[in-house]
Amino acid sequence: MTLTIVSLLPSLQNTNGDAENAAVLAARARWAGLDAAVVPVERRSDLPARVDAIVLGSGDDSSLDAARAALMEFHDDLRTWGTDGVPILAVGTGWELLSWGVERRGGPVVEGLGILPGRAVPRASRMTGDLVVATARFGTLVGFENHARDYVGAEGSPLGRVRAGSGNGRDSGQEGVVMGSVMGTHLHGPVLAKNPAFADALLGIAADRAGLAYQPGERAAVVDGYADAAREAQLAAARVAASAAEPIG
Amino acid sequence: MRYAPAILVGRFVRFAARLRKPGGGSAIPGLIVNRIAPGYLKRTLSGFPQGLVVVSGSSGKSTTTKMLVAVLRAHGIDVFTNPSTANISQGLTSALLERADWQGRVPGDVAVLEMDEGHGALVMQGVDARVVALTNVMVDQIDRFHDSDMVAGMLARIAVQAHEAVVVNADDANLERLAAQLRSDVAVHRFGVSQAVLDASPRGLGYTETSPERLADGTGVRVTTVDGAEAVLDDGGTSVSIGLPARGTHYALDAAAAYSTARAVLGQRFSPTAAARALSEIPAVFGRGERVAVRGHDVEFVLVQNPASYQLNVDSIAPGTEQILFAIGADVRDPSYFWPTDASTLGRVSIVSGSKAAEAALMLAYDGVEIDRVEPDLGRALDDFLAAPAPVSGVKTIVFSADSMRRTRAHLGLTGAE
Ligand SMILES: [Zn+2]
Repeated sequence: MTLTIVSLLPSLQNTNGDAENAAVLAARARWAGLDAAVVPVERRSDLPARVDAIVLGSGDDSSLDAARAALMEFHDDLRTWGTDGVPILAVGTGWELLSWGVERRGGPVVEGLGILPGRAVPRASRMTGDLVVATARFGTLVGFENHARDYVGAEGSPLGRVRAGSGNGRDSGQEGVVMGSVMGTHLHGPVLAKNPAFADALLGIAADRAGLAYQPGERAAVVDGYADAAREAQLAAARVAASAAEPIG
Repeated sequence: MRYAPAILVGRFVRFAARLRKPGGGSAIPGLIVNRIAPGYLKRTLSGFPQGLVVVSGSSGKSTTTKMLVAVLRAHGIDVFTNPSTANISQGLTSALLERADWQGRVPGDVAVLEMDEGHGALVMQGVDARVVALTNVMVDQIDRFHDSDMVAGMLARIAVQAHEAVVVNADDANLERLAAQLRSDVAVHRFGVSQAVLDASPRGLGYTETSPERLADGTGVRVTTVDGAEAVLDDGGTSVSIGLPARGTHYALDAAAAYSTARAVLGQRFSPTAAARALSEIPAVFGRGERVAVRGHDVEFVLVQNPASYQLNVDSIAPGTEQILFAIGADVRDPSYFWPTDASTLGRVSIVSGSKAAEAALMLAYDGVEIDRVEPDLGRALDDFLAAPAPVSGVKTIVFSADSMRRTRAHLGLTGAE
């Protein structure tokens, strides 16, 4: 049996390389001795018979409407996956489109798919830089953020607390939103590679649902050494001491 | 006479700057002249008898500019051009001052300027250009440009300053859209690749959006064949064979851009033969295909500046190259946007180095590349890499970002190359 990771709309939603998280999940599954495949899905007819995890990356603002239209085809599927507990990682505008809506400065609101609570609202200027988040489930998450909007209404179930950077903004001190196994985050790019605990948690859920056991492989230990070094460097750049960044509670 | 006092001050500052840092050209004189004579840059740029030609775009503008200058000079034109490091306002003014007489006049029939896509729109405000050539829209340097729309918008602001012609890459959908918005009295000239050349690049050419159709026969300058460092251009039915400074389709495209821009500038005076000869004589450049003898080894240096050039250059490294040093420096603030690239053909890398060594190693590892050693200290990495015996297959190859290239040159004392 093959673990099937869906990369949703990779042609539109891969601005910062976030769609590559699908390949990260597949690589880690293979290193663990499991069969895994990434299936790029641009339209509903591309959907494989089995879906074990989904990655939806971030796109350009100019393609928000196009991406929404493309996602609408999957509205029912996303609801079903969400209720069934299929892990879904949504990044940047991909996450925003799964929310209640995206408010644009001087433009009409883009109606969201309503899979995740909250909405994206314009911020004074674009936020780019290091983002460090303390989470109870995945430890300290480290990465980059690059977004033109804040996110409100995630207070009930954020991904974690911001240690450096902006995250959801509006003085919430929080980052991301979680609803069951559906997760939205501003952490773009290879967030799952740089935060192996996050990747392994998602893989654990996927494997569990498929009746498989997931235990990180030997190769993962080597590669996670590079991730550790990259995390240390970024924590230092963000002036967050590794110890101070450990989650509290 | 109008600018004489400002020019004198600028010259004095340049002189003073040289005393402090011998041999160093500096942007400071430009900064000061811009401050005390804000009209100088605009007026001088607009004052060349045969006009101003501007080259911009995400990638390939340095090579295209260099090639265009060579082609124009081969036609007997006296060209003023800026060094590629001086492509923002202060640097540009400093470059003009280098050549200016005491009244601020710069000799030359025509000015050919490489323009930074970010600063170009600002520098070009109120400047009258004859021809603007645009290479492509790629998302590079994500810290500066958040998405491709922003880059396309900035290039559009440069393009509207052209009163005679705009030269665009027809395979770049963003540039085709930009060309469709131009005033109807501005001519649009196109260059691009044939379907066969595109098909030979399985990963595409790196544009944010590739046009659905290729240039039709006789509608522009087309790259019809690329074979290593040789290429054939089709110019309205005439085949023009050229040599490239190094292997790679992107160099053939730069040559097509330069060729079609020179044609737009020269009109009836343009000679395909003279253009082909000039293009074929462009030497290889350090970091872009040139091989250098270092500490008893032949070493090939490969510069990667954005995902597109990364992919093209990694693909052009001969399979089975046994010794590779891979260095990414502080100039790459957030390597995320490199992740969609695929370096699996490298197979094995001897040393990963640079201040972003860990990020680079992580990315390579997920591409399935074996890494022998991660050594963030670039000096030590270079010394050990070059001390190792010569490889059995391939030449020692160093892949680096711009910052690591600068440090590598300094460390190895390769100051002559530019
Ligand atoms: Zn990759």
